[in-house]
Amino acid sequence: MRARTPAALIALLAMAACGSGPAAESDGRTTITLGYYAEAGGPADGTMRKLVADFMKANPTVNVKIESAAYDEFYTRLRTQLAGRKAPDVWLSDGALVQEYAGRKSLRDLNDLAKSLNADDYYGIDLIRKSDPQGRLFGFPQGAQTAVLFYNRTMFKQAGLAEPTGEWTYDDLMAAAKKLTKDTNGDGKPDVYGFRSYSKSFTESWWPLVKAFGGDILDDGGKVAVDSQPARDGLNWMLKAMHEEKVSPDVVTTDALGGSQTLFPSGVVAMQLGIYARIQTAAQGDIDFGVAPMPKGPGGKRGEIANINSWVINSASADPQAKAAWKWIEFFSGEGPQTAWTQIGEAVPINKKVAASPAFLEPGKPPAGRQVFLDALAVADDLGLNPVWSEYTGALAKPITSALSKEVPVDAALKTAQADAQAAIDRFTPGG
Amino acid sequence: MASLRDRLWATLFASPYLAHLILLTAWPVLALAYLSFTDYDTVSDPEWVGLDNYTRLLGDEAFWSSLGNTGVFALLYVPAQTVLALVLAVALNQKIRFIPLLRGAYFVPVVSSWVVIAYVADSVFNPRTGSANTVLGWFGIDPQAWLNSPALVIPTLAAVAVWKGVGYMMVLFLAALQAIPQERYEAAMVDGGNAWHRFRHITVPGVSGTTFLVLVLSTITTLQAFEQVYVMTDGGPSGASELTVLYMYRQGFQFFQLGYAAAIAWVLFAIILLFTLVQLWLQRRWVHYA
Repeated sequence: MRARTPAALIALLAMAACGSGPAAESDGRTTITLGYYAEAGGPADGTMRKLVADFMKANPTVNVKIESAAYDEFYTRLRTQLAGRKAPDVWLSDGALVQEYAGRKSLRDLNDLAKSLNADDYYGIDLIRKSDPQGRLFGFPQGAQTAVLFYNRTMFKQAGLAEPTGEWTYDDLMAAAKKLTKDTNGDGKPDVYGFRSYSKSFTESWWPLVKAFGGDILDDGGKVAVDSQPARDGLNWMLKAMHEEKVSPDVVTTDALGGSQTLFPSGVVAMQLGIYARIQTAAQGDIDFGVAPMPKGPGGKRGEIANINSWVINSASADPQAKAAWKWIEFFSGEGPQTAWTQIGEAVPINKKVAASPAFLEPGKPPAGRQVFLDALAVADDLGLNPVWSEYTGALAKPITSALSKEVPVDAALKTAQADAQAAIDRFTPGG
Repeated sequence: MASLRDRLWATLFASPYLAHLILLTAWPVLALAYLSFTDYDTVSDPEWVGLDNYTRLLGDEAFWSSLGNTGVFALLYVPAQTVLALVLAVALNQKIRFIPLLRGAYFVPVVSSWVVIAYVADSVFNPRTGSANTVLGWFGIDPQAWLNSPALVIPTLAAVAVWKGVGYMMVLFLAALQAIPQERYEAAMVDGGNAWHRFRHITVPGVSGTTFLVLVLSTITTLQAFEQVYVMTDGGPSGASELTVLYMYRQGFQFFQLGYAAAIAWVLFAIILLFTLVQLWLQRRWVHYA
């Protein structure tokens, strides 16, 4: 039994000064707080507020108080709120972080509540269950992200190249990238590259490459498995693209040119691996672009992965609040709200009916052929989620980035990555 | 002897400060000391783990690496800033035109936010488009990666930090310079002392009290540096600019290990205290208060 501590007491006192306790309405209404991250006043924020208003109209016994903030601020505040037992009753969680909070016993298992819905009608439920060692459901899908190959159609046309297909391998990609790379100002260095291979957002970079070449980040038992020959092959392919063939901007150049997410929209690279949300940034660049399945590695694997952003319910919320929160989740997962959410183009809808509808597949703007996202999602693996995801992936990324920058050999980097990431996982003891 | 009534009044007047000290300094510091002996993830209650956090620190290579990075940063930043601030103060202590304008120009970076400074620094140190590589090119030197190079990132950060901070230290030196009696310079000139002699034997000892202050402040600033690296490099490339406070922030607020972060804070406090005490002890040998 652990004693309540001075720090927690301070947080409690501070929080007590800022708000009221769980709602105990005399008018029979249940008040819940709903938290989400979004740019204030942006399309996601506007759509979410409209959906909340619609929800309250449809459910007059539930009153929803919104707590929203930009991504970083939202999570900083959330941790303080959790310490003070004042976190929202239901909040939108980055899929990668669900297990970080579940592992610290902050989330309610939704297995029982979710029985009101047919799991087969939604994408992502199996991936959320897979991330929990006991198969519990600590979140319900809100929107899905999975990576595919983005390509600039104009640049392909100008180079006289056929567009990528589902049969492409990484060899095909390298061959096309060579033809797409150009030195436009004659200084002996490329200014336009065939493929963006490195990104700080590693789920669009070395992570799927390691998997496509037959490797993995975690094995089925949750142990780090990155120190393997396939992983070396994947990283060596990237090194070849950046430093030998020079068809990809190297790590320094990627940052110098404004970071990995600006290269494709600005036409500096002709291809990239990108999640669904990159459609929004690509559209800002006013380019004609398409999407294709991820290329195949030597063994035919594509390395598809998915991040399922999820609604989670606070384990500290009372039953009436939890039930009202679940009503919101049910509402958001319905066809109407999912169609509205799909229109902002931020995520693949998790409602399979909406995903199969023209609202998602034929929205009337690039890219055409959005079915590839659904195909990838159907076979995608999870992101090796666990309660120390931020820490262990940080421990992986540091040496791997060093290897891709040619500061250390790939072999040594993967050994360090394996040891440091495993140490982070081993250090964790469940709290609560 | 003050009466009880006087004492009560004195306590009453001092109470806002005392309340501030107790609630916002002493109590958090004590809470932090307690947390450093716990496993506290900010979500669950802290769990007493004794000296575990401190033992882990001893074997944590990333922590020692961050401390090494901070040491190199301090070794480059503190002397460069101190010397440059003094030289600038002497140069701008002359009776020439546009002096207020020039002093203001050197002070502008001090009041600018790190985000603005980062944008300006990018225009200089961007490996592809920055002016620093253009200048190197005039001399036939290969372009450098600057903030993207593990070898150059700390020197580049130190140069930017000096540029941002030198104006403030310059103002401190200017005040000290103006307090040196003019008669000393006149006496030295009568005795045949040249400009260097006057600088070496009158100016430098005359501002030594301020030099000491600048050294202490600069050392503490570097050991506590956070915002600059958070905005400009986020500790990269590959951890080469991960300074100790950034490492502590990551442990506490990104990795849910507030107990471990508290232990790092206490070790850092001990290091800062040690450096300050050493500087205090050394100042008796070279600082002149007159």
